[in-house]
Amino acid sequence: MMNIPNRKEYLQQQSQSGQQIMGVLPALYPREMLWAFDILPAEIWDPPGDILHANAHLQATICPVVKRSLEFILKEPDIINAGYLFPHTCDSLQNLATQVKDLIGVPVPVYSFYNPKGEFNRTTRQYYTDILGDFQTILEQQHGSLDRKKLSTACKLGHKIDSRRLELQNARMTDRLPLSNSEYFQLIRAGEYLQPEDYLKLLDAISIPDEPIPNDKARIMVSGILPPHPDMLEYFDDLHLSLVADDLLAGSRRIPRIKLDPPQDPMEYLTERFFLLPPCSTKAGSLDERFRYLNKRIGNSQAQGVLFNIVKFCEPELFDHHLMVKALKDTGIPVLSMDTELQGGLSGQDKTRIEALGELLRDRMVS
Amino acid sequence: MPPRLFVGVDVGSLSTDLVLLNDQGKVLSEIIIATGVNGAEAAEIAFDEALSETELTRGDISAVTATGYGRASVAFATGKTTEISCHGVGAHQLFPNTGTVIDIGGQDSKVIQIDARGRMLDFTMNDKCAAGTGRFLEVMADRLELDLGELSNPLNLEGETAPISSTCTVFAESEVISLLAKHTPREQIVNGLQRSIVNRIWSMVTSIGVQGEVTLTGGVANNKGLVLLLEAQLGRPVNVPDNPQIVGALGAAHIALKGYSQG
Amino acid sequence: MSLAKSLKFKFMKDYGAPALLTFQNFKKRKPRPIPEAFGPPLKANQRLKEILTRHYFLSRYVPGVKKVAWVTSGAPVELLRAFDFYTIYPENHSALVGAKKQGADYCGIAESDGFSQDLCSYARIDLGHMLSGKTPAGKLPKPDLLFCSNNICQTVLYWYKAIAHELDIPLIHFDAPFVTTQQTEADVRYMAQQLQDMIPVLERISGKIFYLDDLEVILKRSMESSQTWGTILKEMQAKPAPMTIFDAFGHLAPIVSLRGLPVAEDYYHILLEEVQDRVARGIGAITEERYRLIWDNIAIWYKVRYLATFFAERKMNFVSATYTNAWAETTGYLDVKDPWNSMAKTYGQIILNNNLKHRLDLMKSMINDYGVHGMVMHSTRSCKPYSVGQFDLRKALNTELDLPAVILDADIADERVWSEQQIQTRLEAFCETLEDQVSAT
Repeated sequence: MMNIPNRKEYLQQQSQSGQQIMGVLPALYPREMLWAFDILPAEIWDPPGDILHANAHLQATICPVVKRSLEFILKEPDIINAGYLFPHTCDSLQNLATQVKDLIGVPVPVYSFYNPKGEFNRTTRQYYTDILGDFQTILEQQHGSLDRKKLSTACKLGHKIDSRRLELQNARMTDRLPLSNSEYFQLIRAGEYLQPEDYLKLLDAISIPDEPIPNDKARIMVSGILPPHPDMLEYFDDLHLSLVADDLLAGSRRIPRIKLDPPQDPMEYLTERFFLLPPCSTKAGSLDERFRYLNKRIGNSQAQGVLFNIVKFCEPELFDHHLMVKALKDTGIPVLSMDTELQGGLSGQDKTRIEALGELLRDRMVS
Repeated sequence: MPPRLFVGVDVGSLSTDLVLLNDQGKVLSEIIIATGVNGAEAAEIAFDEALSETELTRGDISAVTATGYGRASVAFATGKTTEISCHGVGAHQLFPNTGTVIDIGGQDSKVIQIDARGRMLDFTMNDKCAAGTGRFLEVMADRLELDLGELSNPLNLEGETAPISSTCTVFAESEVISLLAKHTPREQIVNGLQRSIVNRIWSMVTSIGVQGEVTLTGGVANNKGLVLLLEAQLGRPVNVPDNPQIVGALGAAHIALKGYSQG
Repeated sequence: MSLAKSLKFKFMKDYGAPALLTFQNFKKRKPRPIPEAFGPPLKANQRLKEILTRHYFLSRYVPGVKKVAWVTSGAPVELLRAFDFYTIYPENHSALVGAKKQGADYCGIAESDGFSQDLCSYARIDLGHMLSGKTPAGKLPKPDLLFCSNNICQTVLYWYKAIAHELDIPLIHFDAPFVTTQQTEADVRYMAQQLQDMIPVLERISGKIFYLDDLEVILKRSMESSQTWGTILKEMQAKPAPMTIFDAFGHLAPIVSLRGLPVAEDYYHILLEEVQDRVARGIGAITEERYRLIWDNIAIWYKVRYLATFFAERKMNFVSATYTNAWAETTGYLDVKDPWNSMAKTYGQIILNNNLKHRLDLMKSMINDYGVHGMVMHSTRSCKPYSVGQFDLRKALNTELDLPAVILDADIADERVWSEQQIQTRLEAFCETLEDQVSAT
């Protein structure tokens, strides 16, 4: 039903047709600005394949997102012709940015974009606007002056995508989105590499019925950096477990939590957008806020349990995780935490855990 | 009307265990065999053994629940359930006041909270690495040139304990090698290993909390020294079934029985 | 604040602490014999011990007298000093626990509560302390305020958030944007504004009004202490070096945790005088210094003595470290006439908040200035900002300067990840290379 182009093929096609493509690492960055410079951001989160060369540059205890990204970069793929962007997300990615730029060296430019940390106020807001301006200046050095009209168009497009994503999220939480787990997350993740126009078309093609579709599956919210591997998502489908809501960095944490007004001044809009993103471990805001937000999503989606899909060695997630699990358990919500190193295949242990969560939730549905 | 009979089969990484029940929940047969390389075959062999022991045929069996790693490969099963639910139900059958089940299996350790009817309320499992599992003890026994039985000698709680600080099996093994190189007595190393497992289990227990009586299942429950240490750490006695390995299969058989009677 | 508590605090400060120190000196066991490989120990060691003992001892009598703040090592503590907070440094405390080889115990407490074993051990030790009340320092006062900056790592922000949540106390965070190429005007403006935004909050928590001239005095003191510390480190360029970097790991404590106070300023004058005297008289930290080394990353606290002895016995002395240098490197930016911007520059550009090109250049000049023959890099699981990139730094130094180097995979304070046999083999191989290379030149 959905026709989602394959990431690699799509990007190859784009590159052959002369498109400028920038490799972007996780997670938060002003994509609209890149679009306005006619740059297609291709996000790099979990490139598949074996890790061979990256091990010569990184210790064993570094997270697989960082390792896999470096492995990808070391291959010097031709499609990435406009450079790499490292948004500031965590200590490891922060260092990887300068390691790639200053020590390893790549044949394309390396950019970074700082995301403020902690609790936000007027000072933070001013700073964010400032760094948007600085980012523009830096891009102009390579790509010529920014066309303000293009930025405005890009913001409008971004706004439409966000609004549609929000509608789809809500539809999924209320059983009005007839997509399997695998299909849903494939759709979400297509936004990591498609041209905005193509992505919007894809999103718009999904119809949302007015009435809920009967659903007797056990309902789970998934939290973490990335959705479970497609192999695992299929397993959830097989077991009739529905991931009805997400709190993923690659998912809902990158969509403003409410619908914004259509953009007037682009810089103001982009600033506003950043500060309306949901609570997230990588921004390191208040824990209470984050918990209230999670609880609200659980309520809205009527999730019966929460799956934490934790990327091994991910420090931002691991700190918050402990406190979120504690608080959720206090409210009586079952929680399953699983480690992932982002490779395919399902171990017996993984299957047992997922099935046991299913048994636990079904037991509760019966009683 | 012929008697209704139920089977639970637990295909684990080390052993395959099978329990045959009548419709009153009475155990008619218990089989434990090594799993070997082929879980499906081990299950068949265990099933045939139980049938020949009780002079029954496959047609006499009303329902079979499979559990354990190989649960999906059991051809004659009518249902499958994870070993987590099964250990909860099995422990509840043996010790009805059980609120917390600690299962130390070959590949996995888990702590399961159950309610007064034996239903799972919450559970936690060890990390992917083998620390705190039967496999950990097996690797170490190998290194110490002891068999698993010798590793389970009741330890002297007052005795000296060699520090094994690593929680990773690979690192712990190299620590054991260093200790042996320093001529540390083996008893002290055994004490250290048991302490290390108990610490690991303790982390899981505290993350989920203890309620009701504690029942220990899985083959490692035969390790007397470990049980003593665990009791000391928990500050309360622990129920140990006569045959701790069979608890998963017992639970599976009861799930088969219950599922059948509920139609 | 209650008068009785104030009087008690004053009494303890004037009489209690000196009495305790006298008593401690009196009951002191016979000092451990010093291995032959080492030169005479620094006399300042005694004074250092007194200062730290006194600081932890007095902290017990502080509640009700002064407000207590827990602070990260890279935070602009000068601002807190202007409000007379009594400061405790959890990193320093965790290092102390590590040095006493109790790190695994404390980490275990945090792990039992559900914190992952993959988190920083300083954080786990501190959380273990918070959850159990255990400390080798007797007793630590509960904080009224937490003050952290992510200029050393983002980890401290998560760690302090967890404490703030558990104890329900305010947290002030100083957001320091990472310097990818150079600090921008926007970065400086942002940091300077944050500092000024903190004033009303700090006034409310401390109950004290802010005076700019108080801050100026404190900044001046801080600057002078840091500069003296820098001068002390420079004295180690002498051959033989008057102290080892393992000494410096200890003597670092006042500049980290008592920065901006007169006691730190006075202390470094004493230490400088002694070090200069040793240089003048040619007294080295080790009896025979044949090879000079540089250390990268935080100390391995539970193995300081082991490592010091291992190298001293092989006539090798650590004369420099990126770690000890960090508290002397950027204080040159401090300017009492422009406190806010200058603090932004000082604290925003410290080594761990700066790019790896900066780090490589700094290491090159240190290797050159200190006449270094080889490098030991501690790759620590706990600290990503210090460790990510080390493999390539090593490669660059090896290529450009032909510098032999070894990487030790260990941890700052969790002794469970130390594998002595592996490390010993690696170190011995490194020493062989070093000896070969130096004798060949």
